[in-house]
Amino acid sequence: MKLLVCIKQVPDMESRFKPDAAGTWYSESDLAWRMNEYDEFAVEQAVQLREKLGEGAELTVLSIGPDRVVEAVKKALAMGCDNAVHIQDPAAALKDPWQIASMIAAFAKDRAFDLIFTGMQSQDRGSAQVGVTVAEQLGLACTTTIVGFEYDNGTITTKRELEGGVKGVVKLKTPALVTCQLGLNVPRYPTLPNIMKAKKKEIVAIAAAELLREEPLTTTASFHPPAKKGGGIVLEGEVGSLVDQLIGILKEKTAVLR
Amino acid sequence: MFLDLTEEQKLIQDTARDFAKAELEPVAAALDQSDDRGPLLANLKKLAELGFMGLNVKGDYSGSEAGVVAFSVAMTEIARACASTAVTVSVNNMAAEVIQAVGSEEQRRAYIPKICSGEYPAAGFALTETCAGSDPAGMCSQAVDDGDSWVLNGSKIFITSAPYAGVFVVWAVTDKDAPKGKGISCFLVEAGTPGLIVGKEEKKMGQHASATCELIFADCRIPKSALMGKLNDGFRIAAGELAGGRIGIGSLGLGVGLAAMDYATRYVTERSQFEQKVSNFQAIQWMIADGYTELEAARLLLMNAAYRKESGKSFAKEASMAKMYATEAANKSCYKALQMLGGYGYTRDFPVERYARDARITSIYEGTNEIQRLIISREILRNSS
Ligand SMILES: Cc1cc2nc3c(=O)[nH]c(=O)nc-3n(C[C@H](O)[C@H](O)[C@H](O)COP(=O)(O)OP(=O)(O)OC[C@H]3O[C@@H](n4cnc5c(N)ncnc54)[C@H](O)[C@@H]3O)c2cc1C
Repeated sequence: MKLLVCIKQVPDMESRFKPDAAGTWYSESDLAWRMNEYDEFAVEQAVQLREKLGEGAELTVLSIGPDRVVEAVKKALAMGCDNAVHIQDPAAALKDPWQIASMIAAFAKDRAFDLIFTGMQSQDRGSAQVGVTVAEQLGLACTTTIVGFEYDNGTITTKRELEGGVKGVVKLKTPALVTCQLGLNVPRYPTLPNIMKAKKKEIVAIAAAELLREEPLTTTASFHPPAKKGGGIVLEGEVGSLVDQLIGILKEKTAVLR
Repeated sequence: MFLDLTEEQKLIQDTARDFAKAELEPVAAALDQSDDRGPLLANLKKLAELGFMGLNVKGDYSGSEAGVVAFSVAMTEIARACASTAVTVSVNNMAAEVIQAVGSEEQRRAYIPKICSGEYPAAGFALTETCAGSDPAGMCSQAVDDGDSWVLNGSKIFITSAPYAGVFVVWAVTDKDAPKGKGISCFLVEAGTPGLIVGKEEKKMGQHASATCELIFADCRIPKSALMGKLNDGFRIAAGELAGGRIGIGSLGLGVGLAAMDYATRYVTERSQFEQKVSNFQAIQWMIADGYTELEAARLLLMNAAYRKESGKSFAKEASMAKMYATEAANKSCYKALQMLGGYGYTRDFPVERYARDARITSIYEGTNEIQRLIISREILRNSS
């Protein structure tokens, strides 16, 4: 069984983000990078399945981006992926989700993966489009935002979390793609010996140009912090008049009261 | 010149940081205040399973083979969350390394995997005695050759992890008449050996979760095969291994100092007095500048010592410089941080008083900083005369 897990490297979300010179994405200087949190759950689930299947299963991890993403790839290898593909793209941040998905699909097309895992979304762009678009382009069955996963003989049973805490169960047959939600499992820490051994695993490098055929369908026009809010309003007076003023504001300016 | 960590070292640093944040930090304050070591031992086991007990130990003996730089950054991250856990990990690594360096193949296979895997909750390094602290060559404990065994008598003091260590590296006099330092040998003594008694536990200022105990040998009989390295060569072994341990203690100090400065720096951006953030006052800004500059210098000294050890260069002087500077920077940073919190810094509702107590010992153990200065100057003077 051939498994693929797609991961992205994102900035530490506690970083202070500044717009880049063009004002269309964040500046990458002074950021610390790590594996997208959703993808850690995807890798863990893929590794668990890989371990359950044992011999005869092969798990590949794929990441698109500049050289720095190799660190995230090595983490996935240390967690238990067998081999890796680095699609080298120094300008990955400028690609739209359609292009990123197209590159993954172009790579996966003739490689007959039975099951592809992705994160539900990335922590930085948050489009939640890449996984589903890859499935669509490859003609795979797909389910998203999974919080439970089981595999048995070609059938995948997933649990999905719906609004208000309601759960849904979705079954699908391989070949398929699933996008993973936080809480799906408990991602393991890579052990130190495995981090060191991952050095010896193969990371195949492919230039982005070899896979990129598509034009972007969307462009990010602007990236900026929210406008500074004006100071709050301080209401003054007796309690009765305070309540009246507050109700007035809530009616006029918000949808809380009508 | 390349001043960045490798990808593997960064991943090890991240793993240590993530683990410390998730597992160590939440229990550190409680461990400081309670006698229950359960959470400490549970976390040591998990750290062993992740490979933190033999960072610079070969894979053949279940080590991680990650090197000395990785050891240093891991110690710093662990200490940022819990100094007691960090010192235990540091001593375990030191014990595993000394066995790897001078033990026989049989001794290595018998003990190192048990330290690395966590089968032994900890390992002990038993050098100090009441009569021999800064001057370990003056030790009094004796090992007498009794045919097919050695008989140990005497006592050690201040032995980290003694109640839960599975094995102790122990030094004792084997030739009373030899010149000072030339008649000491090194042994491996398993916990539970009859005549090996864990004595009184010290009540300390800080690092409470880490046990520090007396260790008594009362006709403690160990097999002939327990001798490690050459007979009467033990003092040289101790001196060599302590140099490596100092990188661990310096890195630990750095972690505690960073924890204190990070906490205080966040605090002053939130606390207001005189209608403004306390961080607006230049006096506070200078504390931030001085604290972080010294910690950064400490980090570079530690990286240099670790790099030299890792690449097989001489490193004793550099390790002493790093240990001395880093632990003093840590102490100063903790006191600056406490000052930045004002009265709150002195209370147990905030972690800074614990950091200050935990940091205090780092300029004392594994060779006081006076002894580090002695080592540094001796080395420099030797090369300039
Ligand atoms: C919490 C804790 C854990 C420890 N863990 C261990 C352990 O696991 N294993 C172990 O073997 N030991 C351990 N120790 C012992 C520690 O390494 C010693 O306490 C330390 O080396 C100092 O020895 P001492 O306490 O006898 O001080 P002393 O040697 O009595 O020193 C007293 C003072 O004199 C100064 N001094 C001494 N000689 C000189 C000199 N030549 N020049 C200038 N100044 C000098 C010292 O710097 C110090 O300021 C631990 C100690 C503590 C407190």
